[in-house]
Amino acid sequence: MKRNLMLLLAAGLALVACSKSDSNAPSGGGDKKPVIAMLPKNKANAYFISCSKGAQDAATALGVDLRFDGPTKTDPSMQTQIVEGWINQGVDAIAVAAEDKASLSTALKKAQSKGIKVLSYDADVLPDARTFFVNQATPEGIANTLVDEAARIMDGKGEFAIITASLVAANQNVWIAKIKERLAKYPNLKLVTDPLPSNDDKDQAQQQAATIMNAHPDLKLIMAICTPGVPGAAEAVKQAGKVGKVHVIGLGLPNENKDYVHAGVTDSVVLWDTGKLGFLTVQVANALVKGTLKAGDKEFKVGDTTYKIDGDNILLGEPTIFNKANIDKYDF
Amino acid sequence: MSSPTSSPPGWKAALRSHEFILLAVLMAEWVSFYFAGTHHTSHGTFGFGTADAQADILRHTVEIGLLALVMTPIILTGGIDLSVGSVMCFSEIVFGKLWRDAHMPIPIAATGALLTGAAAGGLNALLITWLRLPPLIVTLGTYSIFRGLAEAVTRGADVFAEFPASFTFLGEKSWLGVPVQVYVFVVVAIAVWLLVHRTTWGRSFRAIGYAPEGTRFAGIPVERRLALAYVLAGTVAALAGLIYASRLNQVTAADGTGYELAAITAVVLGGTSIFGGSGTVHGTLLGWVAVAVLSEGLAYANLPRELGGMLTGVLLILALSASILPKVLSNWRARRHTGTSTSQPPPPAST
Repeated sequence: MKRNLMLLLAAGLALVACSKSDSNAPSGGGDKKPVIAMLPKNKANAYFISCSKGAQDAATALGVDLRFDGPTKTDPSMQTQIVEGWINQGVDAIAVAAEDKASLSTALKKAQSKGIKVLSYDADVLPDARTFFVNQATPEGIANTLVDEAARIMDGKGEFAIITASLVAANQNVWIAKIKERLAKYPNLKLVTDPLPSNDDKDQAQQQAATIMNAHPDLKLIMAICTPGVPGAAEAVKQAGKVGKVHVIGLGLPNENKDYVHAGVTDSVVLWDTGKLGFLTVQVANALVKGTLKAGDKEFKVGDTTYKIDGDNILLGEPTIFNKANIDKYDF
Repeated sequence: MSSPTSSPPGWKAALRSHEFILLAVLMAEWVSFYFAGTHHTSHGTFGFGTADAQADILRHTVEIGLLALVMTPIILTGGIDLSVGSVMCFSEIVFGKLWRDAHMPIPIAATGALLTGAAAGGLNALLITWLRLPPLIVTLGTYSIFRGLAEAVTRGADVFAEFPASFTFLGEKSWLGVPVQVYVFVVVAIAVWLLVHRTTWGRSFRAIGYAPEGTRFAGIPVERRLALAYVLAGTVAALAGLIYASRLNQVTAADGTGYELAAITAVVLGGTSIFGGSGTVHGTLLGWVAVAVLSEGLAYANLPRELGGMLTGVLLILALSASILPKVLSNWRARRHTGTSTSQPPPPAST
């Protein structure tokens, strides 16, 4: 009986002691240092890990306290739960990449009503649930960069094909429309077939690439506009022994494509610099807290860089092209 | 608190009971997080110690609490229901389909969801009582079936969202500072407590868990009792689904994933024997709150929330061994003091 209570007491004290020791670090200075909370879709994802590195750089430079927390898998309910926790903790700003617009927006409106500055990055929420959306890439930016890169590689003429995610994927369909608009600039580039669906699957992309190469022996380039599509297409080109004859470009993560880029199968992949996205997000959050940035502003300056603001979208700028020369500098 | 310890007087037995230990653990958690997770600033108090934070902890875990409540009678019978998370999800999908695609009013769609849950529980009960298959196997099967149905209907991608405010108040609004769904939870908790602790039905759950064949010979309709437990679980799982849908204002085919294990953890932590026969509803409630406070409190104390899973496991083992420890110790002491003659069985006759 006595032993039993002692055990309990010891366990309880240990718990207090261990949580106490950690707590005095960040929450102690809550009054002076602004606290910026940043929610990724998935904090275990390389994309968001590299985002968080840029965010931490900005936080260190600005002297703000950054809390980067999110689910470790696709979990909109966990996202909401984390945001509601931050509201109760009285953080100064919340920046989110939403897995699901509707559910997160309810929580964010609650945050706004308590005076917390709210912004979104990477994946937007409902417009009235945040002040700004840090937009990593506009459809035009993506489409133009891809088409220009294709034209450069193909010397402005020849046949090419597009591998897409699925035929109903909203983002991809917007990009395809913009790609077709941009093609007006290059009359000798010929899209040989409607975009081929890969269902966001590397194997299916590989099959589609193999089939289209057989059907169109003069094909000069495959453009994959979903991330699994790029290594899939590259693998097909490699296996068909057409390296150098059929080029591969696309929208992809540097890490997934490094080997193919170095082997000369894939010429380049296009994506925004995720570190820069995290960096800009924290800069915007801080400026909102300090009051130096307000809704309606037309541009946002960080050091020497000026970011354009289109309505309530802060634009990260043109996407980055990753090729043999620079791909090893990125890790995501 | 009717723990079957034999000797000491009432209050001592109560102090030694599993529920008391759990209550003490809960207080320790709460006090720790209060000190580690609350901060006072010039413009008010923030963190774990605020009423908002406490209300949010309840709001975020009410669904698991509901599942744990109805899992208790099932485990008392020596059964288990692994399908509750999937049933919860599939009922939500039915609700979403009826409301959005069949243009039914919310009350009808919600009734449809509850009936779906009841039918799912009925299917479990039918397979368990009629075919006499072990509950673990039956519900492992229906766990896949209902999750699979939910995924098939939505193709894994269709999302139901933007429900009217007349529905979302259930999950998002508060009344007198207490989240609306907590009132629903209290009603269900009282009903289940009365069922288990104040009716002959409840007594028969324990009897079935303790000795299923004996119970049958005693003239108790075992099948009907079991069916009640599983249908109740299915129905309340659907109710949990509705609350979840209104709290998040959306329904997806991934809702409720893993909730069955969270519910079972709460029940077992609450002192219900996994083999059936003994356990209490209030124990389950304590187990549920202990896990909820632990997993949410970590974030307030700026500790990684990923520790939650591990600490829940530690808590489970600690709390369960703490309630057995005194018995083990006293047995051991008794054996030492009185020698081997009294407490040990006579040595086997050897030739």
